[in-house]
Amino acid sequence: MIHTINVDRPHPYPPRVTEFTRRFWDGLREGRLLTTAGRRSGQAAFPPKPISPQDWEEEVDWIELSGQGTLYSHTTIHAAPAVFVDELPYRVCIVDLDENVRLATRYVGARNPRVGERVEIVAVRYTDHISYAARALEPANNH
Amino acid sequence: MEKSVAIIGCSALPVGKWQSKPEDANQVLEHEVLAKLVVEAVRQAGIDKSDVQGLSFTMNRHYTLQKYFATFMANYLRLPCHGTVSEVLGNGMTGGWAFDNAANDIVLGRARVSLALGVNFETAARAQDHMMSSMRATGDVDFQSIFGITPIAWYAMDATRYIHDHGSSRAELASVAVKNRMHASLNPLAQFRKPITLDEVLEQRPIVEPLGLYEVPPRSDGAVVLVLADEEYAKSLGKPYVRVRGRGFFHEGAHQISEIPNDMTAFASVQGASRQAYETAGVTAADIDVAELYAPCTIVEVLAAEALGLTPVGKGARWASEGRTALGGDIPISTSGGLTSRGHPAYVTPLYSFVEIFEQLMGLAGERQVHGAEIGLTSAELGNYNAALVHILEGIHQ
Repeated sequence: MIHTINVDRPHPYPPRVTEFTRRFWDGLREGRLLTTAGRRSGQAAFPPKPISPQDWEEEVDWIELSGQGTLYSHTTIHAAPAVFVDELPYRVCIVDLDENVRLATRYVGARNPRVGERVEIVAVRYTDHISYAARALEPANNH
Repeated sequence: MEKSVAIIGCSALPVGKWQSKPEDANQVLEHEVLAKLVVEAVRQAGIDKSDVQGLSFTMNRHYTLQKYFATFMANYLRLPCHGTVSEVLGNGMTGGWAFDNAANDIVLGRARVSLALGVNFETAARAQDHMMSSMRATGDVDFQSIFGITPIAWYAMDATRYIHDHGSSRAELASVAVKNRMHASLNPLAQFRKPITLDEVLEQRPIVEPLGLYEVPPRSDGAVVLVLADEEYAKSLGKPYVRVRGRGFFHEGAHQISEIPNDMTAFASVQGASRQAYETAGVTAADIDVAELYAPCTIVEVLAAEALGLTPVGKGARWASEGRTALGGDIPISTSGGLTSRGHPAYVTPLYSFVEIFEQLMGLAGERQVHGAEIGLTSAELGNYNAALVHILEGIHQ
């Protein structure tokens, strides 16, 4: 299970949801970080895909990720596309999850990010859509 | 024996802000600008219009209203031909693909002369509106763009990681911008030509930390025409020319980031493409006299140069700060001023790289001439250097 934080505004640029990816977004609503993995290889993909990109397996399984990982890199953005200008400055980052999966997302929290620090993925509940972000994994965030 | 390809002429618009605003009484239109460059380049190459049998265009930005630009231009130039008449698109690699497309016309024997050309007009659009499109070109719309990750944010994350891994610093990286501005001050085609100091670079407002305004590319318009010819035909003209000696390409099968963790700053695409290019050219990195790299940000030039073997891994930024990649240094890189100072009309940026290497290898680079330059290298890329296209070029003086 992952934690959920609430944001009191609509998502400025929400994702398009397909019949296939709906399970991922619904999972976030339940506090679960899901993705797909090749049935034979077991290799997790991100984002979830209806095929396994590593060996083009056609059978994939949904698996649950711990949501914990290590911060690979980060930046703070000061010049943004029009829909994100109101949020400036904001941080984005690259996270290597413990299941050997790399993803990019927002970095939230008051602390300055540090390369190599332990982070966790959290679900971010906007007033209209669900999303996700990374934040430092520390006792204060584990409630 | 496979035909080999020569560059026998070129012309280019000085990089800058050329695009008119919709409300301007006098519009600056892409086809007029490009048609004049075509005629100029063909005249300078010393060939006849009827020799030209192919037109390989870069795709226009979506701001360009004239659609089916390639066939429109075939009419505008009144050019019946048997080679390619088409537009290609590949993000920042677009100009590189146009070059390859024209070269293929010649290698396949479909044309004796083929043009690689294009125009990129975009500066009338506000940056924040332009990024609504470009963020979708450099990320997964539904799993990355939703976070507002801008194209250069990926490069900034390269910089953060590089500084962490190699004990480098923002100041070392920023020295690339100072060096390239010095080069641009000597280049009539460059958009920004006033020399700058390291302190000035470091004082600029942050754009994507740790990179500030002078370490990221400006918004630019530009247009280029390259005249490519069968080398046998180039020889028969009795004038010096530039020969395409080697070529390599590699896509790492990932876009922006690899979902399986890897060393993001190793630029595997450049390693793969350059290995192939050096091999086909029969040279090594040590043989390169001048390199013109597709590097939108300071960090990108550092990483690409390291992956090409032009500078030692982890030391590229230091080499720049020590002047070893400047004119007169061990290996002059981005003698045009690079993307931060020559400017970055993205779809035609790789064509400007060929212009620079052409001028260097023909001895036409004036004050920024690399003395005795015989072998040059260009690179083009897309994403976060997820793919690289490398060409090795050689000056032939006859």
